[in-house]
Amino acid sequence: MAHVVTPLDVPSNYKDSQSRHNRDTAELLAKSTTLYIGNLSFYTTEEQIYETFVKCTNPEEGGGVKRIIMGLDRNTRTPCGFCFVEFYTHAEALAALRYVSGTKLDERIVRCDLDLGYTDGRQFGRGKSGGQVRDEHRQDYDAGRGGWGAQAQKEEKLRKELYADAVDAPGAVAGGGGNWQDRNRGESHRNMAAYNS
Amino acid sequence: MSYVARGYGGDRRRHGNYDRREDRRPVETEGQRIQKSIFKLGEAAEFLPSSELPVLAKTLRLSLSDNIQSISEGFRTGVTEEPYKIPYFSALFTLLLQPEPDEDVDNTIQELVQSVFNELCKSFQTSLDKLAWRDLRLTIHFFAHLALSKTVSASSMLDLLQSFLIVLDEPGVSYERSQAAALCVGEGLIRAGPILYQYNPTAAATIISTINSSFESAKSQRSLTRPVVRLHDMDVSGVDVFIGALLSTLQTLDESSFASLPPCLPQPHSLFPESNISLDIPAFIVPPEEIELGRSADEGTRRKELMPAARIRLFDDEISPNPSSPSGFIIRSTLADTINIFEVNRKECARIVLELPRWFTWGTFKEKGRAGPEAAVEESAAIMGWALENTILEVTLAEFALLPSPPQTLVYYFALITDLCKLSPQTVGPAVGKSFRKLYSLLGEGLDVEIARRFAEWFASHMSNFGFNWVWKEWIPDLALPAFHPKRCFIRRVIELETRLAYHDRIVKTLPEAFLASEAKCIHETPPGPDFDYDDPQHHFHEPAQSLLNLIRGRSQIDEVIQLAETLRSTIGDTVTLAPETSPDSVVRSITMQILLHVGSRSFSHFLNAIERYLPLLRSLGSTPDDKIDFLNAAGKFWQRNGQMVAIVFDKLMQYQIVDPSDIIAWCFHSSDRREASSEGLIGLQEWDLIKAALDKAIGRVSIAQQRVNSLRKEEEDAKAKVKAGKAELSVDTMDVDSTEANRARDLESNHKTISEALASALKAYSILTREQKTALARVLEGFVTALSVNATPSISLVIAADGWDHRVDWTQVQWECWETWGWYRHFCRYYAAQLKSYAVTLESGPLAKVLTAGDRAHSGMLVSEIWTVALGRGVNM
Repeated sequence: MAHVVTPLDVPSNYKDSQSRHNRDTAELLAKSTTLYIGNLSFYTTEEQIYETFVKCTNPEEGGGVKRIIMGLDRNTRTPCGFCFVEFYTHAEALAALRYVSGTKLDERIVRCDLDLGYTDGRQFGRGKSGGQVRDEHRQDYDAGRGGWGAQAQKEEKLRKELYADAVDAPGAVAGGGGNWQDRNRGESHRNMAAYNS
Repeated sequence: MSYVARGYGGDRRRHGNYDRREDRRPVETEGQRIQKSIFKLGEAAEFLPSSELPVLAKTLRLSLSDNIQSISEGFRTGVTEEPYKIPYFSALFTLLLQPEPDEDVDNTIQELVQSVFNELCKSFQTSLDKLAWRDLRLTIHFFAHLALSKTVSASSMLDLLQSFLIVLDEPGVSYERSQAAALCVGEGLIRAGPILYQYNPTAAATIISTINSSFESAKSQRSLTRPVVRLHDMDVSGVDVFIGALLSTLQTLDESSFASLPPCLPQPHSLFPESNISLDIPAFIVPPEEIELGRSADEGTRRKELMPAARIRLFDDEISPNPSSPSGFIIRSTLADTINIFEVNRKECARIVLELPRWFTWGTFKEKGRAGPEAAVEESAAIMGWALENTILEVTLAEFALLPSPPQTLVYYFALITDLCKLSPQTVGPAVGKSFRKLYSLLGEGLDVEIARRFAEWFASHMSNFGFNWVWKEWIPDLALPAFHPKRCFIRRVIELETRLAYHDRIVKTLPEAFLASEAKCIHETPPGPDFDYDDPQHHFHEPAQSLLNLIRGRSQIDEVIQLAETLRSTIGDTVTLAPETSPDSVVRSITMQILLHVGSRSFSHFLNAIERYLPLLRSLGSTPDDKIDFLNAAGKFWQRNGQMVAIVFDKLMQYQIVDPSDIIAWCFHSSDRREASSEGLIGLQEWDLIKAALDKAIGRVSIAQQRVNSLRKEEEDAKAKVKAGKAELSVDTMDVDSTEANRARDLESNHKTISEALASALKAYSILTREQKTALARVLEGFVTALSVNATPSISLVIAADGWDHRVDWTQVQWECWETWGWYRHFCRYYAAQLKSYAVTLESGPLAKVLTAGDRAHSGMLVSEIWTVALGRGVNM
């Protein structure tokens, strides 16, 4: 139903300029289990993100938070204000669009959008200086996004080191666990492949 | 901007967006414009029905002949999506039949309106086929208002209600179905009452008594869903349930012979002449409960049972309307419908509910600055004048607090209330504050543990949207209560949840000194970080742990790491004397788990990476349930100060199949080492959360396996049919084994074989997972039976006795722990009732057979059994 109002769970018209799938975007989005989350503070942790989005999950239908991929500055390997949250089901991603997008996470209003799905390399900012493009053009002072407030100073060191080990290589990002497999059928090698896919 | 090249930077994006928006803008057709003119009715700044309705009716009449579909669609949309406008939609429809004297219309107008009406009846039939109960009920509202203006005949209206009433007498009808049907009949009667009573004075009484008697049998379950619990008292005569509210409303109206409508309902039809043409609603039959094709019998185990639910009240009758009064019932049901309908857009929902007074008679809500009504109902204003924001909050929270589970995801209600506050902070803010205080005051007075859990979630979530501002000093005196008093539990929980959403230092800053003191046990002095046991050079196993840690840190090959772990298993006992009942294997499991968590302690992703890389290591170290308890103990200890991380780690350990759901359940009921519990097996919220996550994982796996079986079955049938068709073709056309047809037939056959094999293995997985689900449920039940009956102590018996409850001010920590455990047991039984029902035989001969119903623990045992029986809907004598 949605005649009287527009639902909040329709994807925006953002188009990933570097995406390889061009034709069936709409079809992919209609099944997508991944969300792009924007306007994060550079200091927001994955656990804060988890706590917020786990509220949209439905484990009884086989759902949950599969993994979170923090967006990093390409050069400094530090969080640069976006992330991907991957659920196990599409319905959970839609629930997050309806109930979380536009509310506060770590005291900032975040924006969620359906995403085609994480592919290697997408965790890095695409701005000229390594961060997000939006921060290249930002004119205002924003303490949560690389400003220099007291809190920022204090946590800067931790933040700088947290993802120093992030690598830009296929399979560098954990899968988060796949579907249940019958473990008594000597399929463990296949499981591993599934986890890493 | 120097980047002229296309496809660079923000400029392109902006440009691109602009283009797409242009492309996307839909061209509105005439039909859409007409539909919109109907459902946008009355949304201008000022709404004057007496002039607007006739104008709109006239416009619609003029386009009627070409737009039957659009006009009926406009009405259908309006009626089913904007329940608050239904009296106006009815008045508008009636006016369609009344051309103005000077209007140049042909005399087919009546036929055309009849066609619109037929279309509406057709979509009513569609809703019936789908058993879309809310759409049915709201369309019945529409028909009822049409009956008031005599646009539809009273006789056909009554027939319609009676066709729904029959449902209540169906043998073995589910509670869900009978409640939905009763609401259709009851709400129809409230609205069409005046006219139906004139037509047939005894019909109303018959309807009321039928509804009344059909819900007698479901009464006992109320004792499980009442928001404020009395463990010692399973009697529910005083509990106000939804159907009870409907019945009292109908009885009140019946006492005055349905002389008038509930005063809050506007009666725009009375502004215009009655219709002199009377339409008949065709006869309808409510189809039997849908049995979906391809749905196997045990799919029911995934469904949630609807139980007769009582709705929580927060405010007095002067502030928010009494749900059992005619106006109160209407206002609440309209609000609840609106909240459910606009779940797709909480922002619009917030705006719409704040504008609701516009759709009720003037004076229903206390108002500032709204222009007076056209048809004043001053006499009613005296008894109404409720506070809008409090009413909205109360209804929203009544939905949110519904047991066993709310109609929408919990977080929807949080987000809706946040948006209400954003729209009107001055008026909604205080209502939110009052709701917090009222719910808080019910803690320790019997507020159900599950509602208390949801309340803490809401409170923390709300705070995180509004700067964590709360007047904490109000609750300082409560810090003197026993540590497991529901108020203390709530405070601790809220602070923990706030810390998860923000961070330790941020929350510390918001709390008064009294909450920070270590004896208050509200918050740790330091951020809730990990505790890596083997980091301490003094630790017995520091050395071996270091050697393993170095290998893992250096990202050594898995084989090498497994090799070292093997060596440790055989040598660890050589240098250190192990504690009794500790095996070297157990020590190595603990060391390994903690090392992986330590390596992955920086973030959720780091944790996933560490575990994922060394899954074979973990698998090589443990396979029995006892081994898995070692893993869980090590992980639980590592994150003992951080409940969120325990939940995350346990969840992923299940996901990676390192541990099974029933291992986690077992771990949770072995609680006495971790909690200060004095009786083994008592559980608190953290344990319950973990138990629920484990059960849900087991249930979710069955659900996925089920879907896989269903889709493979379909594929298999298709493939089989294709093979058959291919063979038929072959035998007719050719006998040549090398022909393309023959090859194709072989391909089809091998495809069929592949799918059949996949189906066989999916069925096997399904049966394994179903068994695991049953094991998990049995394990939980056993945990409760042991804690509450087998190990029952005098303190456990005390909390379920009436005089024990009355003296709860003297309760100590243990008693409150017992009380909470009872609460989780009740919730377990009602929340998983559908699943428990399907395994009832096994569970009753297994864990439940251990319940003690004689001796000094008889009282506890009997209550355990009684709660079980009631949850399964087997009504007990009370």
